[in-house]
Amino acid sequence: MRTFIVLAVFGGGMAHATLGQALRIADVAPDIPLIVVVLLALRRGPEFGCGAGFIAGILQDAAAGGLLGVQALTKAIIGFSIGAVGARLRVSQPLVQVPGLVLLTIAEGLARFTLLKLFRFPAPFGELMTYVVLPQALYNGFLGAALVLALAWAESMRARTS
Amino acid sequence: MKIRAVVLLGTVAAVCLLLLTLQMRGHAAGASDLLAVLTTPVQSALARVNRATVGVWSTYREWKNVRAENRDLREEAQRLRVEALRVTEMVEENQRLRRLLALKQAMPLTTLSGEVIAREWGGWVRSLTVNRGRADHVARLTAVIVPDGLIGRVVDVRPGASIVQVLTDPASTVGAHVVRTRTQGIVEGEARGTLRFKYMAREGGGIQVGDLIVTSGAGGLAPRGIPVGRVRAIDDRGSALFHYAQLAPAVDFARIDEVLLLVGDGAHDVAGLFPGGGS
Repeated sequence: MRTFIVLAVFGGGMAHATLGQALRIADVAPDIPLIVVVLLALRRGPEFGCGAGFIAGILQDAAAGGLLGVQALTKAIIGFSIGAVGARLRVSQPLVQVPGLVLLTIAEGLARFTLLKLFRFPAPFGELMTYVVLPQALYNGFLGAALVLALAWAESMRARTS
Repeated sequence: MKIRAVVLLGTVAAVCLLLLTLQMRGHAAGASDLLAVLTTPVQSALARVNRATVGVWSTYREWKNVRAENRDLREEAQRLRVEALRVTEMVEENQRLRRLLALKQAMPLTTLSGEVIAREWGGWVRSLTVNRGRADHVARLTAVIVPDGLIGRVVDVRPGASIVQVLTDPASTVGAHVVRTRTQGIVEGEARGTLRFKYMAREGGGIQVGDLIVTSGAGGLAPRGIPVGRVRAIDDRGSALFHYAQLAPAVDFARIDEVLLLVGDGAHDVAGLFPGGGS
């Protein structure tokens, strides 16, 4: 299980820059590390979510060639937050998963934009939200829900065989 | 919530902000380099995996496309083959009809074009059914021709069709003569589907293989000069009164689709309208 988690965090962080391109639909790519961090934080709590977010984010920053620490911080915050409140959410329902991931992606986008603005990021807010954050949020919502369902199915199959 | 978690978040936030500040001031190149040492090989490996996966997937999709394309092309080829056959058939029909029309227009007689709708080729009877009958004022014994020569005559008229007795019918006879020697005789059908020319021995001494036999117009059944056949062999019966010549028919009776019925007066010489014709 630990190997899987390490692979998920490290692989997810870097797979985004390479494998994420293969999942591109109409120039919109999903934020795979964010989905991985959210799923892990829901299962393992805020500390793990924070650490996983930091590692996945910093690897994503390094892989993307941007400012180191931006996504590390935003994903750490997302991981921490969802880990803290996850126990009170009924996340097994797709009706919660899809809008939940959409909202989390938007929140991460807002946090990243705010942080980058502090360091004189030039892109306008409206354009960024319309063409980047919102489409990616929708994509993340559906992809994340599919992943949750796939994991639940895999676990039920494993429980049945053991 | 555990204090440890909050402390962890605070530490992470502090590290990140410190990293960002250092980068903005140009002092964090080392951190980037250190991370690059870790990420670059993994990224290269992932890129290779990605390329291989995409390659396999692309090959599969191309294979599927090629298969679908192959199927479509086969279907199209089949369709085009049928279309080509249809076009060839239409071209041939068009040529036949043009020849028939040319003959109809040149013929100094009233003619009626007809289409062969049935054939009786059993040996006892050799006949064609043409889609012209009593309603078209077709009379019994009307001569039936094609651009190559004589087919036969109408032996039975029905409301919408006529039965044409073909020259090769065993009961068929028609007056004819040899174009070159003017030898008169009768062309008879034979049970084996061939034609023979029966003539008086003393008149036919000069008949040769290859001579053209045309209708003589005797009896007014068919106009004079319509090709019937060419002499293929001569059956010299010594001192007998009549000799016979085997004929190759001028018309391929098995391949007739359209005909002309000569419904007008038959007392004309139409030899000049047929290929190799002569009176």
